[in-house]
This record gives sequence, C-alpha cells and structure tokens, in this order.
Amino acid sequence: MPRIVRVADVRWEGTVSRGAGVVRATSSGAFELPVTLASRAGDPEGKTSPEELLAAAHASCFVTSLGSELHRAGTPAERVDVTCTITMDEVEGKGHLIVASALSARVVAPGADEERLARAAEAADEGCPFSALIKASASVTYEATLEGGS
Amino acid sequence: MADSTAHVTWTGSLMEGSGTIDSVGSGTLAGLPMSWAARTGETAGQPTPEELIAAAHASCFSMALSHGLAQAGTPAEQLDVDATVTFVPGTGITKSALFVRAVVPGISEPAFLHAAEEAKTNCPVSKALAGVPEITLEASLA
Repeated sequence: MPRIVRVADVRWEGTVSRGAGVVRATSSGAFELPVTLASRAGDPEGKTSPEELLAAAHASCFVTSLGSELHRAGTPAERVDVTCTITMDEVEGKGHLIVASALSARVVAPGADEERLARAAEAADEGCPFSALIKASASVTYEATLEGGS
Repeated sequence: MADSTAHVTWTGSLMEGSGTIDSVGSGTLAGLPMSWAARTGETAGQPTPEELIAAAHASCFSMALSHGLAQAGTPAEQLDVDATVTFVPGTGITKSALFVRAVVPGISEPAFLHAAEEAKTNCPVSKALAGVPEITLEASLA
C-alpha cells in the first residue's frame, strides 16, 4: 500500500495571547477555521483548537475501525456513533500535556450481542492507528453499547 | 484542565461505508463527510483522521512558536505553518513534517531556529505524537 500524505496549514498573526490563527485543511479543502489561545484554554467561543482537532481525528479513526470490525465479524452495523473527549492538563514539571482520550460508542448492529461488540471494540482500539500512537503518552479508554434499531 | 469533544457517525463496512463528522464542541465542524476511499486515495473534499492530525499539529506548533518568540522579546508578526502527515495503512502514522516561514522583526536566524526547535519539542500535540517515528522541522525567516 502506498504512503498517503495529508496536509494542513495555519497562518498565525500577532502574539499568541492577543493574536489569532486560521487553520485550513489543505488536502481536502473541507474546512478553514479560526483558532486563538483564549478559546483553546477557556470557552471555545465558536473557535476550534488543536485538542478539538485531535478529538475529531481520534473519533473518526475509531469509528472507521469499529465499523470495519463489526462488518468483519459478520454483524455489520447500521450505524455507529462515536464521541471522543480529549483532555489536556498541566502536569508538574512537564507543562501542558494531552493526558487522556476517552471514546464512547453507541452501535446499532442487528445480530450483534454485547460480547461480540466488546470483541469488536477491543479490535478497533488495537487497529486504529491513532489509538496506537497516543497510548505512548496518554490514557486511551473506550466503551461501546448496543442500541435498538431505528 | 480542558476537555475537547468531537462526535462522528459511521454506516456500513470499511470499504463501502461512509461516515460523517457530525459536530465538535466549538461548533466549527459539522456535517463533514468521510470515507475509506477518501482516506487512502483522492480526498475529494473529504477530511480524514490524518488531515485532522495535521491540522492539530500545525495549529499547536504555531501557538507554541508564537508564545516562545514573544517570551524571548521578539514577537512574530506572522507565522505560516504547514504540517504534512504520512499514513501507511497496516503500519500507521509514520511521519509529521512541520514547515514554517515566519516574519519576526529583529530576530537573528540562530535565535529563530532555536525557538522553532523548542516549539516542535514542547507543544502538547508534538508530545502526544511522540510515538510517530519521524517528526521533522524546516524553519525559515521570510
């Protein structure tokens, strides 16, 4: 499989405390978003942040893996909903660190039981490249629950 | 402590299914489509996890560098930062390449390069990506 390359860019103007940036999805053109330090640490005020973009990356990585594992297990999902919450904290002597990523999945998959879902979620956690990556420095937790069909 | 949340949905198999980035806490991303085809081939306007990681890394690095330059008494007027993330299916994320071109009045090149290296090492997303085999930096003054 060939290497796949994705690019994003940011233009920042002014100091970090009073200035502001714009982050663009260069490869896809799918978004162009404002970022500021104040909204990163405090109320989002409609602006994204590096941590929120990581939450979106992890959620989209895990949802793909979980959907794929359920399909492989012969119980394809009609729908998988994943919420990812990334926590950044100030750690003594280490500055600001991303300390945790918590994944929560709700699955509609006819034929799947709790045990199959648990196995699929475990395989998804192992298979998602982003989970594998940040386990080196942060705790990654996941939970998956079955919901009735629509 | 700061929490950031994102919500996504997927329907169907990996190859034929598709998903949506439904919402994020700030409300800035909503209804963005995604698919395996877009992740591994032409992006066709669809963001991928790797592009979002590139966006996270570029925005984190730019803030850290802006902060470092201001602390050193040489605030930047403008920073243009690219992050390029390489993904090899089956292997994982193998590289994030940072590129910055900066307008910083009154700074020497060695001082600027030092600040850029510090930002690369210390920004929280770089630390979270410590497991990536290769994080590179190319920094220059405009």
